[in-house]
Amino acid sequence: MSTAVPTVKRTAVYVYEAPLRAWHWINALSITILAITGYLIANPLPTLSGATSDHYLMGYIRFAHFAAAYVFAVGFIFRLYWAMVGNRWSRQLFALPFWRRRFWIELWHEVRWYAFLEPEPRKCIGHNPLAHLFMVVIITVGGIVMMFTGFALYSEQAGLGSWQDRWFGWVIPFVGQSQDVRMWHHWGIWVISIFVMLHVYTAIREDILSRQSLISTMVSGWRMFKDDRP
Amino acid sequence: MPTTETFYEVMRRQGITRRSFLKFCSLTATALGLRPAYAAQLVQAMETKPRIPVLWLHGLECTCCSESFIRSAHPLVKDVMLSMISLDYDDTIMAASGHQAEAIVAEIRQKYKGNYILAVEGNPPLNQDGMSCIIAGRPFLEQLKEAAADCKAIISWGSCASWGCVQAAHPNPTQAVPVHHVIHDKPIIKVPGCPPIAEVMTAVVTFMLTFDRIPELDRQGRPKMFYGQRIHDKCYRRGHFDAGQFVESWDDEGARRGYCLYKMGCKGPTTYNACSNTRWNNGVSFPIQSGHGCIGCSEDGFWDKGSFYDHVTDTRVFGVELNADRMGFAAAGTVGAAVVAHAAASAIKRARKPGQFGDQEPDKTKGQGTAGNDQTGERS
Amino acid sequence: MSIETPNGFTLDNSGTRIVVDPVTRIEGHMRCEVNLDANNVIRNAVSTGTMWRGLEVILKGRDPRDAWAFTERICGVCTGTHALTSVRAVEDALGIQIPENASTIRNIMQLTLQSHDHLVHFYHLHALDWVDVVSALKADPKATSTLAQSISKWPQSSPGWFRDVQNRLKRFVESGQLGPFMNGYWGNPAYKLPPEANLMAVAHYLETLDFQREIVKIHTVYGGKNPHPNWLVGGVPCAINLDGTGAVGAVNMERLNLVSSIIDRTIDFIDQVYIPDLLAIASFYKDWTYGEGLSSRSVMSYGDIPERANDNTAANQLLPRGAIINGNLQEVHDLDLRDPAQVQELVAHSWYRYPDEQKGLHPWDGITEPDFWLGPNTVGTKRKIEAIDEGAKYSWIKAPRWRGHAMEVGPLARWVIGYAKGIPEFKEQVEKVLTDLNLPVTALFSTLGRTVARGLEASWAVHKLRYFQDKLVANLKAGDSSTANTDKWDPDTWPREAKGVGTTEAPRGALGHWIVIKKGRIENYQAVVPTTWNGSPRDPAGNIGAFEAALMNTPVAVPDQPLEILRTLHSFDPCLACSTH
Ligand code: HEM
Ligand code: HEM
Ligand code: NFV
Ligand code: SF4
Ligand code: SF4
Ligand code: F3S
Ligand SMILES: [Mg+2]
Repeated sequence: MSTAVPTVKRTAVYVYEAPLRAWHWINALSITILAITGYLIANPLPTLSGATSDHYLMGYIRFAHFAAAYVFAVGFIFRLYWAMVGNRWSRQLFALPFWRRRFWIELWHEVRWYAFLEPEPRKCIGHNPLAHLFMVVIITVGGIVMMFTGFALYSEQAGLGSWQDRWFGWVIPFVGQSQDVRMWHHWGIWVISIFVMLHVYTAIREDILSRQSLISTMVSGWRMFKDDRP
Repeated sequence: MPTTETFYEVMRRQGITRRSFLKFCSLTATALGLRPAYAAQLVQAMETKPRIPVLWLHGLECTCCSESFIRSAHPLVKDVMLSMISLDYDDTIMAASGHQAEAIVAEIRQKYKGNYILAVEGNPPLNQDGMSCIIAGRPFLEQLKEAAADCKAIISWGSCASWGCVQAAHPNPTQAVPVHHVIHDKPIIKVPGCPPIAEVMTAVVTFMLTFDRIPELDRQGRPKMFYGQRIHDKCYRRGHFDAGQFVESWDDEGARRGYCLYKMGCKGPTTYNACSNTRWNNGVSFPIQSGHGCIGCSEDGFWDKGSFYDHVTDTRVFGVELNADRMGFAAAGTVGAAVVAHAAASAIKRARKPGQFGDQEPDKTKGQGTAGNDQTGERS
Repeated sequence: MSIETPNGFTLDNSGTRIVVDPVTRIEGHMRCEVNLDANNVIRNAVSTGTMWRGLEVILKGRDPRDAWAFTERICGVCTGTHALTSVRAVEDALGIQIPENASTIRNIMQLTLQSHDHLVHFYHLHALDWVDVVSALKADPKATSTLAQSISKWPQSSPGWFRDVQNRLKRFVESGQLGPFMNGYWGNPAYKLPPEANLMAVAHYLETLDFQREIVKIHTVYGGKNPHPNWLVGGVPCAINLDGTGAVGAVNMERLNLVSSIIDRTIDFIDQVYIPDLLAIASFYKDWTYGEGLSSRSVMSYGDIPERANDNTAANQLLPRGAIINGNLQEVHDLDLRDPAQVQELVAHSWYRYPDEQKGLHPWDGITEPDFWLGPNTVGTKRKIEAIDEGAKYSWIKAPRWRGHAMEVGPLARWVIGYAKGIPEFKEQVEKVLTDLNLPVTALFSTLGRTVARGLEASWAVHKLRYFQDKLVANLKAGDSSTANTDKWDPDTWPREAKGVGTTEAPRGALGHWIVIKKGRIENYQAVVPTTWNGSPRDPAGNIGAFEAALMNTPVAVPDQPLEILRTLHSFDPCLACSTH
């Protein structure tokens, strides 16, 4: 209220609102389940002995995959909605300012920082440009690819005429045939797994080395800066 | 003057009573999975129609589709040929050869303009001037185009005519292409399979004769009635799949118990065909029942989808074959190792230069916050 | 303008050129041109394979364990024989031993094919060269019945039965829609059968069409479908489980019974329908002695149907192995398919390119590279050939040679070799037929001889089918139910480089696949197929192949109706998809 008092420098910014944070962790969980169950769908566990009717292992694994898939898909739609109503950083996941020179300069700076060529990273309230790029490409584009191929595969069991078929059935001839769809869907597991490895590593690393908080930001929503320099 | 006789007349003169004719119709209706009301329609159709002329052309193929066709048990192919259609041209069985044979195509085109069915087995090659398949001294492609020009509809028999099949497998040295790549102005019914099931073939023909229309087709032009579901959806080993009971290697205990063949590369989960229901050779068996996985023989380009014995098959990208899991493990391993190394390097660097590398007191000259001065927490 | 070929034929390409394209009632696409002299006798014959798909090119770089499926699609008529040849080639290369049951089941598959293919060939691809369908309308059904009952105890032979068939045929012809019989050569003077024999044959044409689907169910039991059953490197894919848990999911008693009953019915059909018809028809054509070709000079068989598993010696093969050259039946040469000097293929007259086209290449070094062009004496254009120039390249079929000789292969070759080797099963049957028909042994070397040998072989095969099915059961009784050896299933267990050759006696003759494997992938794959031998074009030395040789010196009754040409070509049961692959 008092304009006479000099402004205190901001050291914390509320970046990730609660729904976004909730989405992040639910999404992380669903992707983990999808990757594990997906892998097991492709490479099933050793044969179970005993009566066939006593077991439903593949059935459960597939069920878990589909359940997680629906969580992932609904979450994605929710996330899209949140990008519209949430704060400016909530939009980053779906917008990559690749036309801005500055974006690429800063991205380059970030690369140099990871290559130990820069002594310190820049401050970012939202994602750093490198993370931003990966998140858009892997989570948004990759997620869409996984959903389209996944629901196309789902349409095969849902049957001709099902909503999955009407919306996503075209993906099969578009990609080639069913086995192609499965294999492209299958590649997704590795793309996403590698992203997660890097993402988690960088999250921890930057939490320690960078000039701002990371992990706690995804918990509390507040970005804490460790210094007051620009 | 001899008139063309109807199917009903044919059956009557074979000494078949009206009663058994009606029974035949209702059985056929049942076999086609139709409501009883359709039986009446069938009766009507059979009683009034002359035999429809069929020209059955052969391009690059193995004649297996013809061989399969003659295995049909219901209807018997003898009855199809003598009583339902008029198979006026089919170089595998026709009496005439050479110019007498070619004259038939011309005659049917002119006499039954717009009223004959063109059945195609195999496909036309485009390389070698089209001369890797020569009919009467000319490329097969020309015979195909001519015969197609006046037909009512085309049936693409088998995976050759429907997709290209084995001769179109990489690198497709003759540039063999499926029928729909060269004929664009006629309805085409694809009946894929390498070969298709005999009774599926005759049922498609019988359906068209009976109901005077093309059966309902899926997105890719296959009759939904036989290609609407995957082998896997109706496989009798599905219980073992769901339970997680697999054949782990050939002739093991699981194989002897009829467990699921998924781990032996079964393509049932990615193959649309009627095998697991209609089965082969009058219902005797089908590939999975006899212990070998489905190789996906009715699917587009099934030859180029990697080994028949892998579930996770190789992907061909930019001329190289890659396996998702092999590549994935290698990449994940590499990235994992890189992460560890990077983490170690970061730690060392930080320990060596405290206050300089990524610590509270960094170099004073560097640093421009990304968000610059417009950092705000408020919505914008 | 007449020239002598090294293999003893006088070619004269003056006179009238007759073109038959397409040659029908064969598998695949073929063209034939002949020159007739003033008396309408064939003085020059040119056979052209008119299709090519490039399977050998397509196989490169693939998993050798998948090769059977690709090669099986070389042909749907001799379905399975290429697959068997292929798994044998891979097993040979990798040193894989298969279980006894697997060998027995493979024999059953192969013999089923022999029985089925020969039967269908006789009635549906060949009969119309001897049988006048339209003449059957004039037959007296009662006399037909008498004829049928005099030669066979097959039950479907009453006058009423033949009358029904005749009535059906009559109405069919009267309908004006002749279907497959349209534009046939009905009434041609080269047809010699009385109407009753024609009616009997037409009735059996239809009956065989119904019956043949039964035979192939044996493939369906062990291979899951027919055409194109499934195979496996290292054994067979069907597991056997007689009375354990889950036996219904494997080959069990019910399946064995099904096969057994089909075998019994097929024995009856072949012995009571096919063989009597064949001999009856032959007896009317005894004077038509043409079509000798190479059969009296150079014939070859690789041998097949091993008695015991994993023993590839000649002595272990029930179908004989060997080659006869220059007509010397006293000497049957041994074969070595690995010897680079024995089997070779040449392409001087074929639409392929070799670095040196004067020389042949052994299949392990074989090259398949298309090179389509026409010689300067072609009449017509590149996309509209009116007469082909046999002086240049003129066929999609390569020219295989054994030690430089063009060879005839097939049932006749096998039976001549069995006869020459004095194997009782073959010698006695040949002698019996010759006595029954009152013909000298030389009559064997002809179009008719080829057709008769095929019939004898069909009967031989179906009886052997019984033998091997019983053997399978005996082995199961002894407690061995294994069907696959998976020791070398994993490519990691393979040597870096390996070479193998697999052979079978396909219905149409000696079939070989040569494979070179490198780092788990196919480096080279070459098939030399029965119809490649028989349909071979000329070689650089000028030797003509078996089709061309067999057509030589045959008189044609009506030049515009190539009945005699079809008759002789069909006696080989040409398979063009096979020949060029
Ligand atoms: C991160 C996201 C996902 C990952 C990593 C993933 C992974 C996988 C993998 C590896 C497979 C096995 C493919 C194979 O057969 O080799 C699979 C199968 C499948 N996935 Fe996903 N998936 C994801 C998302 C989805 C989504 C969003 C859907 C939508 C419904 C979905 C539906 C399916 C279906 C239907 C199958 C086939 C299962 C079967 O038929 O047994 N997946 N997934
Ligand atoms: C399957 C696992 C995960 C996936 C797919 C994932 C995905 C994502 C995505 C898409 C974002 C961007 C959020 C947005 O802008 O809306 C994000 C941000 C973030 N994630 Fe994760 N995440 C995963 C696991 C984790 C884990 C385990 C951690 C903590 C160790 C973590 C820490 C963070 C942090 C700190 C951010 C914010 C980054 C920044 O401020 O630039 N994530 N994650
Ligand atoms: N020639 C030939 Fe075949 C046979 N028999 C195969 O090897 O027919 Ni298609
Ligand atoms: S689709 Fe298959 S079975 Fe039919 S002709 Fe082609 S290769 Fe043969
Ligand atoms: S055997 Fe094949 S089709 Fe049948 S359940 Fe298993 S994977 Fe599916
Ligand atoms: S391989 Fe073909 S025959 Fe049926 S079971 Fe598979 S589609
Ligand atoms: Mg070859």
